[in-house]
Amino acid sequence: MRSRCWWLLVMTFAASGSQAQTNGWNMPVGVTDVSGDIYGLHMTIFWICVVIGVLVFGAMFYSLFRYRHSKGAKAANFHEHTSVEVLWTAIPILILVGMAVPATATLKNMYDASDAELDVMITGQQWRWRYEYLGEDVAFTSNMSTPRAQISGEEARGEHYLLEVDEPLVLPTDRKVRFLMTSDDVIHSWWVPDLAVKQDTIPGFINENWVKINEPGIYRGQCAELCGIDHGFMPVVVHAMEEEEFDGWLAERKAAAEEEAMGVDREWEMEELVERGESVYQSICSSCHQAEGQGSPPAFPALANNEQLISDVDWHLDKVINGVSGAAMPAFRSTLNPVELAAVVTYTRNAWGNDTGDVVQPSEVAELIAQ
Amino acid sequence: MWTVVKSVLAALLGVQNNRNRQEDFSSDKPGVYIATGVVITLLFVLLLVFLATLAAR
Repeated sequence: MRSRCWWLLVMTFAASGSQAQTNGWNMPVGVTDVSGDIYGLHMTIFWICVVIGVLVFGAMFYSLFRYRHSKGAKAANFHEHTSVEVLWTAIPILILVGMAVPATATLKNMYDASDAELDVMITGQQWRWRYEYLGEDVAFTSNMSTPRAQISGEEARGEHYLLEVDEPLVLPTDRKVRFLMTSDDVIHSWWVPDLAVKQDTIPGFINENWVKINEPGIYRGQCAELCGIDHGFMPVVVHAMEEEEFDGWLAERKAAAEEEAMGVDREWEMEELVERGESVYQSICSSCHQAEGQGSPPAFPALANNEQLISDVDWHLDKVINGVSGAAMPAFRSTLNPVELAAVVTYTRNAWGNDTGDVVQPSEVAELIAQ
Repeated sequence: MWTVVKSVLAALLGVQNNRNRQEDFSSDKPGVYIATGVVITLLFVLLLVFLATLAAR
């Protein structure tokens, strides 16, 4: 009987060895040293639990069967056995301490964000992520790019349904990157399983975390803290590039940011602004005010044929730049740059029958923000 | 004194045999047990603080 128990154990182990990689049931091994450590801890502790379970339930079922009533078994009636009691107290203590030692080492490593080569500020917003490469003058928001038609069921779902964005967070491999994480509105949580990072972003607080990615690739995650109606529609996508490719990307983005800053001062044509504004509107505004500006009253007012909006350009600019206090409309003064603000206001003033003919110049918006 | 310390340590672990328990309960000075218990608990806390400091280095 004893040999049969051992045989069961050996078979269980053998079955596990062949599927150490993830198969959708287990947590991912991930692409950082830390994620590998966490996976290792998880499996070690899992197997400790399996061994304990097999031994305890094995002993129990064996006793139930071997000493059953129909075979005339008589219950033992002794009361105490100090050495057995000490043993079954000491063994769990040793097991727990044995698990705590490697777990503590991993935790210490996870919390050590020192000596990072790149700092990225991650800000949660209802319902998008904003990434800022500190000291590099590069910042952008990352919005879900899954078309609304797929969500409403009018189109077939794509491969990365709800896990795709217009602009992913781009990171270098083999470089320690520190994340500084906060929120503009409510608590969100930035979660990418393959990077073993799941960190709450809390308004008024800055949390730290870090990654050092070993393999280039695209890693997907989601907001992991219920944050409002579009909680499920603010995915995280990380594009990890080789170091040289990343440096090239960063230089390109820096140059583009400089060019954009120069664009504030020049006079823009209406068509340019409308074209730019439409893309800003679709990625930022349409989740609440809807694709055709029809809104979703009463929380999200319609913009199409909105008389106050049509008649008062200053009121319109104020709402977009400063938000509406006590309502869902956030202030976009720091999320969008003056060109984007001017473009989106010009677009909404001339789309869906709002034919005001108004053109708002980026320079006017820059002046309003400076006030 | 040694029997008191042994009893407190046994209580900390949660295992005591019946003979010692009867002996402890026949004592008429519970204050000694309580005081020893408080001191040993404090020592245990200090030990944990020491271990945590060691681990955090």
